[in-house]
Amino acid sequence: MVRRRRPVAFARLGDLVEVRLGDEERDLVANLAGQFRSLLTEDAGPDQRRLYPTAYPADPERDADYAALVHDDLLHFRLEAADVVASTVDNDTLEPGELEQWMVVLNSLRLVLGTRLDISEADEFDPEAPDVAERSLLLWLGLLLEEAVEASLGFLR
Amino acid sequence: MTRASMPDIDERLDEDVGEDVDTDRPWIVLVWNDPINLMSYVAFVFRKLFGYSRQKADKLMLDVHHKGRAVVSSGTREKAEMDVFRLHEHGLWATMQHDD
Repeated sequence: MVRRRRPVAFARLGDLVEVRLGDEERDLVANLAGQFRSLLTEDAGPDQRRLYPTAYPADPERDADYAALVHDDLLHFRLEAADVVASTVDNDTLEPGELEQWMVVLNSLRLVLGTRLDISEADEFDPEAPDVAERSLLLWLGLLLEEAVEASLGFLR
Repeated sequence: MTRASMPDIDERLDEDVGEDVDTDRPWIVLVWNDPINLMSYVAFVFRKLFGYSRQKADKLMLDVHHKGRAVVSSGTREKAEMDVFRLHEHGLWATMQHDD
């Protein structure tokens, strides 16, 4: 498959990160962040399994305590990230902290979508697959996340 | 590569859950391989949350990828639970157990 050449989505610009997404890509990010927000506020279905992992696999009682303790914090952490993405999606530049919120949303979306698609490491991209649109979306989110990581590395100590 | 599956945790862990024991014995935090998370992102999260060097973060990430899991931190139950929570915030598959 030939991928159309596209600019790197995020590039460090001094203390900031330049966002080089086109209008269509920004619309898609905004749309996905909105869908993610809606999903989070619904009852947690199987798609959200990876967002609330088990901490104590050998101890269901303790795990239930942990889950009860952290559920709202995990939820609000992601809602806040979705809100930051929604409010900065048209920006030319992002603060490093804002880009980290983008990464939380991009990665969470991948976890939800990958769980829904039942992705395995052995999966190869099949352009004929019936769910090719969702699989393409998963790859695109991965590309953005990879480029966000690359742009963020320079801000680490 | 194969699809990651839920680990077989040593059943013996269930037997000693007395609080006295818990406070003395250290806990370890494990991160498990999964088919969705990106390798670069996992290494980045280790650096961001734990302040690990690039070398250390990459080695842990590769251990997760090739061996299926890696111990990424350890300490008291409170510290381990906080580390697990921060890893969960970032979408990593982290669990904690007693260090044997």
